[in-house]
Amino acid sequence: MREKIKVILKNILELDEVPEDISQEKCIEWDSIHHLQIIFQLESDFNVSFEPEDIIKMISLNEIENILNKF
Amino acid sequence: MIRFIKWKTKIEKQSSHVVILLEYDHIDSIRLKLSYFIFRNMTIETFFPYLDTKFSGYEDVSIIDENADRYIWFYLAPIAENNVIVEKVHYYTDLVHIIAERIQPGKMLIAFTMKDMMTIQSITSDSSVADAVNKYNASLYKLASEHKNIRVIDFAHFLDNYTPDNRIDWRYYFIAQIGFNPRLAAEFRDWFTLQIQAIELKRKKCLVLDLDNTLWGGILGEDGIEGVSLGGDYPGKAFLLFQHQILEISKQGVILAVNSKNNLEDVLQMWKEHPDIILKEEHFASVRINWNNKTDNLLKIAQELNIGLDSMVFLDDNPTERELVKKYLPEVIVPDFPEHPYILPVFFRNIIEKYFVIYALTDEDTTKTEQYKSNALRANMQHSFPNIKDYIRNLQIVLTIAEVNNLTLSRSAQMTQKTNQFNLTTHRYMEMEIKQFIDKKDWVYGLRVKDKFGDYGLTGLIIIKIDGQIAYIDSLLLSCRILGKEIEFAFIKHILSKIKKAGLSKVIAFYEKTAKNRQVENFYDKNGFKVIENSDDHKSYELLLDEIIEFTVSDVYKLEDL
Repeated sequence: MREKIKVILKNILELDEVPEDISQEKCIEWDSIHHLQIIFQLESDFNVSFEPEDIIKMISLNEIENILNKF
Repeated sequence: MIRFIKWKTKIEKQSSHVVILLEYDHIDSIRLKLSYFIFRNMTIETFFPYLDTKFSGYEDVSIIDENADRYIWFYLAPIAENNVIVEKVHYYTDLVHIIAERIQPGKMLIAFTMKDMMTIQSITSDSSVADAVNKYNASLYKLASEHKNIRVIDFAHFLDNYTPDNRIDWRYYFIAQIGFNPRLAAEFRDWFTLQIQAIELKRKKCLVLDLDNTLWGGILGEDGIEGVSLGGDYPGKAFLLFQHQILEISKQGVILAVNSKNNLEDVLQMWKEHPDIILKEEHFASVRINWNNKTDNLLKIAQELNIGLDSMVFLDDNPTERELVKKYLPEVIVPDFPEHPYILPVFFRNIIEKYFVIYALTDEDTTKTEQYKSNALRANMQHSFPNIKDYIRNLQIVLTIAEVNNLTLSRSAQMTQKTNQFNLTTHRYMEMEIKQFIDKKDWVYGLRVKDKFGDYGLTGLIIIKIDGQIAYIDSLLLSCRILGKEIEFAFIKHILSKIKKAGLSKVIAFYEKTAKNRQVENFYDKNGFKVIENSDDHKSYELLLDEIIEFTVSDVYKLEDL
């Protein structure tokens, strides 16, 4: 799953490489619009629907993985 | 800059007949060529990821990107109480008029119609929101009829394909102000591409039709006029409707042609004698009824009508014929033909939407426009502004400036964390740190903005460190929700006048460049500050207060200082 998330991040943020500790704070490309695109892609690829509270929290690879694990 | 599709023609001998093969490098116009600037009132960036686009601020008409090739006006119906929706929609009508007047006449403005997203309506006779939206849409059509460079595309019609609950995903509305469902993004993109093609007149010109089992059921040469199915019971009924629909689009300017393997005499007789037949000889601009190869016939039709192969759509029920045409004349559109006649209406509607939608004001549109004209005019008279200042005045903006206190501390810290664009230094602070400024007697002021449509809440912040006679502006930021109304100038002027009144002599301010705050790089310059230090990503300014007698804040705002 983590690898799948990384591919999504890589494609949407147009990165050469996705560091393990990537987060919105550390990544300049990860702005609010890209954040939404990441969320849309996750919802469609993992066939889930996130709670708004979670969407706001999912701003790092680790957090995304944590929240996807709830499903 | 417009690049046309480049055609390379080469002629090859193919068995007994000549086939012209066309190779082209296809340039997808909306993907590569043009840049767009989109005026919007909600978050819609995610619907245009494939375009070269920039976006206005929310409801912001004060800045027009002069470098854009085209403009889009895409305002979604506001989400609010009915009376506020009505007011806002009227207001949007005024805004689009301002833009229509201000963009360069040589550049295209594509305006989206609006659809009400959520009227809460317990009284079915209350049509105030629907009326306002209709007026808005009508005024767009009216603008388009008055300005050659304005086009309307019917976004409301796109949304009609979805039920109200599918048009919007409230989660995304509440967290990010996304005004329609992100799940519709792919379909929206396809729809929008077709609209753009229609605007650019990339539509096809000619519909070429086979006869047997295409315009009627059965084979004329074998079944005879009495034996083929046309009119009467199913399947004849389905073919009859199909002919009606084809006649309809020919009236709208699509050229019809026949390409059929048949005996010409049989067909001529069919056209004359069949009691139910709709499409007859006179409806076809070119007729090729013979036993020749269909690709040959298509080439002859193209020559005769003097049109390109790329402007033809060929309908034929026979898959072998279709494959042949696709292989040798790849420019001709050859859709798969339905196996059952009852599928024809859906099939044909798709064909029309894909290949024959035209952008033009039809007579019907014109009457519709006329009907709405009087209404729109009335709306315009109530709300018409010659310039930005008047439109701002009409908003009845109230600016409230107050020291940040315990109640507003958390929102203030949040703003420093979240604001990227209108943020001069982008210093991020925690609640605690803001509290420390206040405790040290530094100045921390919040700005609250209201207008006649509602309260935007705490949307601006300034932090000023005081050191003797000098005021250092540590942070200055405004939420993007309120930009475009020149509020930033009123805010800074008022603060400067406070500093002067407090008896200080000098203000020092900073601009620290980030990836997102380009729009404010000259903010202090515009406010009379002098650059005292300038490096790649950092500028320092000073303003000597003794040199300035008074700061006047524009009287279009009502100012409250608590």
